[in-house]
Amino acid sequence: MNIVAFFRSVMRGLARKKVRAMLMMAGVTIGIASLTILSSIGESTRRETMKRFKNMLGTFDTVIIRPGSSKNRGMVSLTNVEPSLRFEDAAAIAAQVPEIRQVAQIQNALDIDVKYRDHSGTPAIFGVTSNFLDLRGDEVAEGDFISDEDVRSLAKVAVLGADAGKQLFPGEDPLGKTIQIGDVPFVVRGVMVARGAGPAGGSLDNLIFIPVTTASKRLFNREFLTMVIAQLKDPAVGQLAIDHIQTLLRARHRIAQDALDDFNVTNPRAVMEQVTTMGSTIRKVLLVVAILATVIGGVAIMSVALIGVSERRKEIGVRRAVGASRNAILLQFLLEAVLLSLGGGIVGIVIGVGGTQIVSRLQHLPFLLESEAVLSATAISIALGLLFGVYPAWKAAMTNPIDALRD
Amino acid sequence: MIRLEQISKTYSRDGVPVTALRDASFSIAAGEFVVIRGVSGSGKSTLLNILGCLDSPTTGSYMFDGANVSRKSDGELSQIRSNKIGFIFQSFNLLPRTTAVENVELPMIYADQEVSRSRAVQMLARVGLAHRERHYATELSGGEQQRVAIARSLINDPALILADEPTGNLDETAGSGVMNILHELNDEGKTIVLVTHDDAVASHARRVLLIRDGHLRESEGQA
Repeated sequence: MNIVAFFRSVMRGLARKKVRAMLMMAGVTIGIASLTILSSIGESTRRETMKRFKNMLGTFDTVIIRPGSSKNRGMVSLTNVEPSLRFEDAAAIAAQVPEIRQVAQIQNALDIDVKYRDHSGTPAIFGVTSNFLDLRGDEVAEGDFISDEDVRSLAKVAVLGADAGKQLFPGEDPLGKTIQIGDVPFVVRGVMVARGAGPAGGSLDNLIFIPVTTASKRLFNREFLTMVIAQLKDPAVGQLAIDHIQTLLRARHRIAQDALDDFNVTNPRAVMEQVTTMGSTIRKVLLVVAILATVIGGVAIMSVALIGVSERRKEIGVRRAVGASRNAILLQFLLEAVLLSLGGGIVGIVIGVGGTQIVSRLQHLPFLLESEAVLSATAISIALGLLFGVYPAWKAAMTNPIDALRD
Repeated sequence: MIRLEQISKTYSRDGVPVTALRDASFSIAAGEFVVIRGVSGSGKSTLLNILGCLDSPTTGSYMFDGANVSRKSDGELSQIRSNKIGFIFQSFNLLPRTTAVENVELPMIYADQEVSRSRAVQMLARVGLAHRERHYATELSGGEQQRVAIARSLINDPALILADEPTGNLDETAGSGVMNILHELNDEGKTIVLVTHDDAVASHARRVLLIRDGHLRESEGQA
């Protein structure tokens, strides 16, 4: 058999029935387009969620201890927590829980007025220990972060988040300048590199860091912490660390056997996994719908191809009489199905890429097109053509040429 | 070129076995023009299908061009049809939505050779259809369609032409045109086997085989 001429004649045959070919392709096009959009959007959503979590937390290899029994989802601050988490608790966790490398102490407050000359704002004020920077993996853009010495000496120094820096010092170098936090003057020691957007999409850079001791004794006059971040030595032992911290704090807070904790411990990795899994459940449902649409596209190809086989009995008979073997007939019908399915798939990919761009723009997601998605969509189209083309092709090949010619 | 020995064909119709051909034995030499004559249902089409390697006999042996083809595989029979046999049908059987020249090219696709457009055009000219190559079957008269079919049957230069009532759907003028082409081909050395129930057509042949109820017998030539 002359394969090139054979291929050409199959293409010519399809081109002569354009409307039918397009109808056969339509189902696969819709299915593949939605698969492409879903897989691209799903992947970029997952990455964007992870990125925003990472922006907020800096690292996932931590456990976070907050006062209060309820798992407060919002931003904690001095005004909305119980005064149950003490500086000594943080020190005890660092000293006594073997899974913990280091502990950062945090005392933060919201809605504090901050001024520099005629510029003002209300960035979040974070009293922190010096290891906060290392623990989160943040970077200082200019100047220095808060030092151990600052924490020991209750220094009145401040490090500005990127947005707070821009707000208070538009077009001016903030280093060495004195700002007013509440009524207390602080000298700007450094400015942070921007973190980017948080999980809710808001800024994570409108804040000011000061030494936690200064916050406690000179600014807020509070002796409890709003948050403790404990860094794990090994991310795999997160649950063990949580158990140890719970036991330790219950003992320290003298909580009766049947009473609830007056603190809560969370593992950000577990929380993030929960969130991304929730996203992926929705994605899985949509994916099943898209796969169903694609399969229905395949079934449409099969049913139209089956009608084609009975309509084209005479053609099959003639081809057999002039020298086509059963295999040649099988190959012809299979090739037709695969070409239609692949054609539908390619149109679907083009629509899918366009759709992905539109959805990314609407959802403020980065446009992400993986060559893997395109390749697998192509492979799925070909496989679909083979899968749903083989039965009609087999029927065509098994058509008795004598009966077919007699019709 | 052709030798049939004790060929029988039984097939099942609605579960009932029907014997279409009983112990047919005859030979056809290369270059002969043979008519097989019989009423419809006599088994002549079955015989033609076996001769054309579209069907295999139930029993008996069929020697074609020196080889026993009665038990060959589908692929091997297809090769023989492709290279050595040309079919002409009563209802022309051109592919719809396909031009005359593409119809003529069709057998070349299934043979192991280059598909030559110019050869297909020449072949159309040979049957008197030069400049009709771009026409679709529906744009051609019955006589023209049958001549396209003849060009198609000739394109792979077969030794044997099998014609099943080739004039059955044609008026007298077109029919005699087709018969003239067949005689010319026979004069050029092609072996022709023609099946008909039409005595007038049968009168063209040097040799006539009569078939009735699956039984075959030689009739005296009338040409």
